[in-house]
Amino acid sequence: MASVELVGVEKRFGTFTALQRLNLSIADGEFLVLLGPSGCGKTTTMRMVAGLEEPTAGDIVIDGERVNDALPKDRDVAMVFQNYGLYPHMSVAQNIGYPLKVRGIGGSDREARIKQAAEKVELGPLLHRKPRELSGGQRQRVALARAIVRTPRVFLMDEPLSNLDAKLRVTMRAEIKHLQHELGVTTIYVTHDQIEAMTLAHRVAVMNGGAIQQLDTPEAIYDRPANLFVAGFIGSPPMNLVAGQVVGDTFQAPGVTIRGDFTGASGKVVLGIRPEDLSITAPGEGAIEGHVYASELTGEAILVTVSVGDARLIARASRSFRGSFGTPVGLKVDLSKLHFFSEATGHRIDIATQRKAA
Amino acid sequence: MTDSSSIPAAAIVERPASRPATARLSLAQRKRIGGVARTLTILIVALLFFGPVLWIMLTALKQPRDVYSLSVLFTPTLDNLRAAFASPYFLGSRTLNSLIVTLGTIVLSLPIATAAAYAFSRFRFPGGNAWSLGVLATQFIPPVIVIIPLFIAFRSAGLLDTRLALIIANMSFVVPYSIWMIKGFIDAIPTDMEEAAQIDGASRLRAIWDVVVPMAIPGIATAAIFAFVVSWNEFFYALVLSRQDSVTLQVGLMGARTERGDAWEIMAAMGLVIILPMLILSRYVQKYFVSGLVSGSVR
Repeated sequence: MASVELVGVEKRFGTFTALQRLNLSIADGEFLVLLGPSGCGKTTTMRMVAGLEEPTAGDIVIDGERVNDALPKDRDVAMVFQNYGLYPHMSVAQNIGYPLKVRGIGGSDREARIKQAAEKVELGPLLHRKPRELSGGQRQRVALARAIVRTPRVFLMDEPLSNLDAKLRVTMRAEIKHLQHELGVTTIYVTHDQIEAMTLAHRVAVMNGGAIQQLDTPEAIYDRPANLFVAGFIGSPPMNLVAGQVVGDTFQAPGVTIRGDFTGASGKVVLGIRPEDLSITAPGEGAIEGHVYASELTGEAILVTVSVGDARLIARASRSFRGSFGTPVGLKVDLSKLHFFSEATGHRIDIATQRKAA
Repeated sequence: MTDSSSIPAAAIVERPASRPATARLSLAQRKRIGGVARTLTILIVALLFFGPVLWIMLTALKQPRDVYSLSVLFTPTLDNLRAAFASPYFLGSRTLNSLIVTLGTIVLSLPIATAAAYAFSRFRFPGGNAWSLGVLATQFIPPVIVIIPLFIAFRSAGLLDTRLALIIANMSFVVPYSIWMIKGFIDAIPTDMEEAAQIDGASRLRAIWDVVVPMAIPGIATAAIFAFVVSWNEFFYALVLSRQDSVTLQVGLMGARTERGDAWEIMAAMGLVIILPMLILSRYVQKYFVSGLVSGSVR
């Protein structure tokens, strides 16, 4: 168990900069998720902690000790790969026992620890099988067991659930969360799936273009996105973003007029509203006027896409909503749940009421 | 792969005919005729391939006076083999030379080729592919041209007429081809597993030995078979570089062309010894190739 720190870490491949001056510090026992679209540098970051990639600049510190020049085998980390990275010519037991074998731990001690790790992930009866005789979920469990069989200082997980089907993913997610809590090992988890990030993490680092966009708890990232990228990336369906301007106490955009205390914001801004903070009313009663573009039943709610000016907003309506294509509707906004971003920089603008709350 | 791969061709051909005749009679007849035609064709082709081998086997057992007759009925004798093992043919020591040169070539070539294949597969070299292609390009030079400097080099090193010289000469063409054969297999192995091994605590070398080599075994086996076949059959370098002590079977065969004419029965006896390892090899190799093709990657 250990803390991990990245200090001014950079990674360049030729002329391409994959990571720019990354600073990140992960506390002992923390579950940190690196979240971002493909190519944002999250996997590169993790591979540098593992020692599979060398940083072009900066320091990687594990437990107060600079490990830039340490080989992967000397860093005492364990990693779970997206494709599991199992050894196909070895049995499940041999796979799980490999980290012990290379460390010279043999005999009954190894047997016992293999059994213990296998039981933790419910693999007991499959120990003699080969990886190709296992299902995807079982393979993932073998990879997990191999990671926990020795207690490493840091767990690294590179999209471990992305090859599993949707249902299994939910089960395994809970198992990973439980396991991490039980073992208390510092964990870095890479994913592009925001649900995984929100459910698993103590803190989430949202990454894009080789830089951390926001590093905070899942709640804070959802409730107070730091910039337009985070606002658009987190949430499903994503936050509605409307470009317009604030004049005095009014936000205006084509089809949208919202009055409120917007002290702090002025001029050209982008307004963000989450679908669940929009409610559908009769035409003329809400702050926003439009007509139904499409409505989709998701099971527990109906997502209504509303054409407003030349933009489209998505609102989450109750299941009782009935409105066919083209029906004129109004949208009411929850004034306390508005987000403003500078149009020029994309940064969040806290209006006076939110500053107090924060 | 299913069992059908190991069933002899003839069995596959006959299968439709032995199926219960549910179709109309004419169809069944047509099938039978087709089956007979196919069997005949296979027999003819097989005869073409096995005829010469058969001739060698028979001739090796014939008395010299029967050699030129095509009769299959003759009193077999082991005199030819006995003569081949005696002076001046020395089949025994020649076989030993061939075995040592061939096995030596394999044992020395494979580790070198595997290591080089791994390097070419995993690392980026300044100059890109030029190096791995360059290794192959050396093979475009005809042996006749290479043999002159090789001869001079071995002479000044005092290696002429030694098995080591033949092993080195064989390696000059076994290693480059083996590199490319094994490289193809290593290219297909995802890097995940060796990275996993390194994080699990293995050094790079240990990860290669524990993970990459076992998975590249089909490729290494293919290269080993290739190395065996070409070094066992190698003639030209052995002819130039050996004189007396290191003469191999292939070169020794020429010893049967005496002033008194060609001793066909002796050549056939030597031929038997030359063919034998190939027959044994092909018996086991086929199984290996199949298992090599089946063991897919894990995902």
